[in-house]
Amino acid sequence: MENELKQLIIDALDLEDISVADIDSHAPLFNEGLGLDSIDALELGLAIRKKYNVKIEAEKEDVVKIFSSVSTLADYIKSVQG
Amino acid sequence: MSDFILCQWSAWAPGFSARDDRLMELGNSVVPECVPKMLRRRLTPLARAVFNVADQCINGEKTFPVVFSSAHGEICKSLTMLQTIQAGHELSPTAFSLSVHNAIAGLFSIAYRNTQEITVIAPGQEGIAPAFIEALGMLHEGADEVLIILYDEPIADFYPISPFNLNSPNPCVLALRIALVGDGLPLQFDRCTQSREDGEHPVQLQLFLKFLLAKERSLSLGNQEHSWIWHKK
Repeated sequence: MENELKQLIIDALDLEDISVADIDSHAPLFNEGLGLDSIDALELGLAIRKKYNVKIEAEKEDVVKIFSSVSTLADYIKSVQG
Repeated sequence: MSDFILCQWSAWAPGFSARDDRLMELGNSVVPECVPKMLRRRLTPLARAVFNVADQCINGEKTFPVVFSSAHGEICKSLTMLQTIQAGHELSPTAFSLSVHNAIAGLFSIAYRNTQEITVIAPGQEGIAPAFIEALGMLHEGADEVLIILYDEPIADFYPISPFNLNSPNPCVLALRIALVGDGLPLQFDRCTQSREDGEHPVQLQLFLKFLLAKERSLSLGNQEHSWIWHKK
């Protein structure tokens, strides 16, 4: 699922010149690391909801932890899907 | 009456046949080098043209107050979003954030780390004059130089064009760096009560660019209320 998520990130966020191999599963997605910003967080949340039918609620969940890397994001989606 | 100096200008105007160094030829994908990579993906072809034309007038690191002026900004993005809603799909947050009238100005301020005063005008029937009034105000408040960036692109067929005179078949971007003193082309800018019908911003923008390239000494642009005269001194 991690590679699938990486491709989703590249497609949903129009990351020019970045391939799945360039994204480290354990590196931070935001600020340092991949360098995404707050608009990307919203866009990614929407893309995940569309693809996996998993809604990440900003008020209820620990979004900072969930969105911290591809690895944590994949773990969360798997845990919700059961 | 107000005098100012046009220090430098540059433009992108597909459809203009004049050969002039200040008329830029741009490919769709070109972006000034200073624009961070993660920001480039958010720039439309029109935004890229605005950045390139402005960059020609900036000459390096210096940042100026900027006045942006456009009839509709990138209204095609709003139309696309409305059609998305109509189709029952969810809106892209990125598309929403970039659909506002000051989106290009916002991206510009981030890319150039420009923390000066930046104004964005949607001038309606007043055409290009309000951008000059705003910029002259900034100069008289103490700014050494102000950058005026006028831009428009053709609007989607969805929108009614008549009875207005506001559409131009080609996009156009014009950047003007102006000051109260210094080297450049001295211009005089006056208001008069004469009633005219020169169309709205997209049409006037093309007429003003023609005036810059031509030998004519003065240009009048106005609506039924009043008009404005630019005179080369």
